[in-house]
Amino acid sequence: MRSLEYGDEEVGAKEIMFAVPSMVIGIGILFLPRSLANETNFYDGAVSLLIGGFLAVFFTWVNAKLASKFPGKPLFSFVPLLVPKPVVFVLKMILTVHAMILAAYEVRMIAEIAKQYLFDQTPVEVLSVLFLLVVVYAVSGSRVGILRLNILFLPIIYCVALAISFMNIAYFDYHNLFPVLTTDWNGYVAGIKQSFFSMQGFAILLFYIALMNKPKEAPKAAVKGMGMVILLYLVLFTTCIGVFSNDSTSTMVFPTIELAKEIQVPGGFFERFESLFFTIWIMAIFNTAAMSLDMTVISLRSMFKKLKKKNAIIIISPMVYLICMYPQSFIEIMGFGKIISYSGVLVAIILPSILLIIAKIRRIGES
Amino acid sequence: MKFLFGRKGFSKSQAKQQSNEDFYIGIFKDLEKNINNIQSSMHSPNDLIVRKIKLGTTDVKCALFFIDGLADSELINHQVLPSLLFEVKKSDIHLSALPEEILEVLIEKVVSNSEIKRANTFDELSLALLSGDTILLIDGLTDGLIIGSRGWENRSIEEPLSEGLIRGPRDGFIENLRTNIILIRRRIKDPNLRLTSFKIGRRSKRDLVMAHIEGIANPALVKEAKRRLETVDLDDAPESGYIEQWIEDNFLSPFPQLMHTERPDKVVSSLLEGKIAIILDGTPFVLIAPVTFGNTLQSPEDYYERWMVGTLIRILRYIGAFIAVFLPSIYIALVSYHPGMIPSKLAFSIAATREGVPFPAFIEAFLMEFTMEMLREAGIRLPRPIGQTIGIVGGLVIGESAVRAGIVSPIMVIVVAITAVASFSLPSYSFSISLRILRFVFMLSAGFFGLYGIILTYIMINIHLVNLKSFGVPYSAPFAPNFLRDWRDLVIRSPIFYLSKRPKYMQTDDKVRFNKEGESS
Repeated sequence: MRSLEYGDEEVGAKEIMFAVPSMVIGIGILFLPRSLANETNFYDGAVSLLIGGFLAVFFTWVNAKLASKFPGKPLFSFVPLLVPKPVVFVLKMILTVHAMILAAYEVRMIAEIAKQYLFDQTPVEVLSVLFLLVVVYAVSGSRVGILRLNILFLPIIYCVALAISFMNIAYFDYHNLFPVLTTDWNGYVAGIKQSFFSMQGFAILLFYIALMNKPKEAPKAAVKGMGMVILLYLVLFTTCIGVFSNDSTSTMVFPTIELAKEIQVPGGFFERFESLFFTIWIMAIFNTAAMSLDMTVISLRSMFKKLKKKNAIIIISPMVYLICMYPQSFIEIMGFGKIISYSGVLVAIILPSILLIIAKIRRIGES
Repeated sequence: MKFLFGRKGFSKSQAKQQSNEDFYIGIFKDLEKNINNIQSSMHSPNDLIVRKIKLGTTDVKCALFFIDGLADSELINHQVLPSLLFEVKKSDIHLSALPEEILEVLIEKVVSNSEIKRANTFDELSLALLSGDTILLIDGLTDGLIIGSRGWENRSIEEPLSEGLIRGPRDGFIENLRTNIILIRRRIKDPNLRLTSFKIGRRSKRDLVMAHIEGIANPALVKEAKRRLETVDLDDAPESGYIEQWIEDNFLSPFPQLMHTERPDKVVSSLLEGKIAIILDGTPFVLIAPVTFGNTLQSPEDYYERWMVGTLIRILRYIGAFIAVFLPSIYIALVSYHPGMIPSKLAFSIAATREGVPFPAFIEAFLMEFTMEMLREAGIRLPRPIGQTIGIVGGLVIGESAVRAGIVSPIMVIVVAITAVASFSLPSYSFSISLRILRFVFMLSAGFFGLYGIILTYIMINIHLVNLKSFGVPYSAPFAPNFLRDWRDLVIRSPIFYLSKRPKYMQTDDKVRFNKEGESS
């Protein structure tokens, strides 16, 4: 059979491969070099990054494996096969709340950074409501459409991210990277935690693999996608340390955006590359926000079977807006980020692992 | 009460009409009755010609009907009438007095036209008559003959005005359906070229032909196109644009979901890619479906020139499309919100030229773009000899006076001029109109929210694009869904022998165009 039929709402392995980095790359990488530099000496963060990355790859595989065991079935139609009903309900609640807070966090963050780098006078409320409206428009379209948007945007995001690394080569001082392996164990562990947190988001696999026409290919594609993320993070972290050195990186709020600030465009075509960089990075954050809002809609609709998609969106979006307006300061917003990281551990690691083990033991689903 | 009576009266007259229609459907045995019937149904127009004759040596009365001007009178005078009147006498064909047998003999032995058929309903006859055919009715028979005699004045085949090429075939479609089909058939001598006929228009009964190549086009696509064409219910379709708007997927989209062209070579290459063509009688514009975003920026000339030239021109067009959409909005965003992003020297000179300008950048840009659009529209509407005046007036108004009067800055004039030139560089007119609409949307969003507004609008348009479909084919293919192999013929145009496969996004039946190694291997 053909892999893509006319008008069918199906996706191939490529869409899944692109969905993982699109979901993962967002706000996290903008400040990850800072948190890594805080915990480790010199370039040792790379070790934490690689180990954290390896963990992320493993759990990506777990998620993909679990979802691909039940072809054509989204998370909430196969979970009842594995665990009793009350547990399923709690799971739905947790996922709805997690995804909603995640969407709100992305929306708020984008407004904050936009205010800092693009608009210093427009209020955050206006900036975030505009962004939220665009996300709502995306979610009210088809689900496959969101996955296709990833394919459209991700190459642009990678191009601009690699461009800021490449264009900083002139300022790159490799002395900043040495000496190696001077950090103590606690530093590494903290670094692993930080990098693992910024690689979360692969829980979307549980929702989107159901759309695949060949779910068997899912684990491989998802792992490949995660590999792309680690590569990008590594490049950006290396550039940050090489250009700014560990000490100054650890004092910057968004070291990755600061990298763009350093760039002199050859020929003086335009200045302040960081505004352009952030403008394009909005696409990355948009992908994350759109998929998390979509997850919220799926989870909410699984609890209320008769709820139409349109109504679900109408109910959820004001809630997301209220949540995203709740934090009053930047520190509070970062606190939000922490909550999401910890609940993400629950949603994307503990639950899928347990479910996979149950499925293995009870031999449910295709092997 | 009166109302009720009125209703009653209405239904009565309707019933009468109903019975009248029944009355018309068949053909009478009596010839005079038939003549009266046809004449009165058309209210005896003076171009309806009824020629009564007696067949050969017999005494059987019959009548020829045709419409002067629609039917080829040369053909009727020199071929149809002589054969009915004289050649029957000369030859040894025996016409019996029995009317039932006459018809067969006429078809088989007398009338020398290649196109001839029997008809027994009044509807059939009148449609044929109005299409330019000649009708032969015989006294005592309830069957009539339709003799093909369509022939009217046509424009000759000329080079299409709307799509100019430097290199490529010079012939273009004309208003006649038959000629247009011939132009396609002459290029594809494949028996699998399928032409499906439809009649469009309740009143106009225009011919419409859907062409596809069986074995290449995806059957699902062909079925869907047929289904959509069958639903068309219009009074008349003066141009294929009516059909396009009736069968397109999303009428709210600014993007064209069918392409139109006057060039047979473009139609043929689309057919070979597995697409379908819709040819309507009375217009030189042939529709091609489905369309993807990439198709709108392709021109047949890309393939006629060598691949490097084709590739470079295509890249140029993509840049042109980008400029046509984004340049004014980026100017607005940078000048009014992010002056820091402009290099300092340029920023100073822009600020200096904008010194006397009383408006914000958005109003300035809007005024100029609006004037530009108006000039463009005026240039099309004016008769050709005066058309050039508009160019001079426009050039003076935009280039000189507006700047001197201090309404706009010179930089703005440059921006508008580059935008206009860029939008003219696009091969598809309907697509460049879509981009013009989008340009104003972007200008508006840049006027309110600068770069942030531009990027959000850009994301929104992308959302729209990935959800848009043209006959079931995603509009954003082969970008997303991603078919890397099709990228060989997307932004770049690879050398001909690398294009050995048909586009994957079309899901064609026959996937291979030719053998890359050449015929021998």
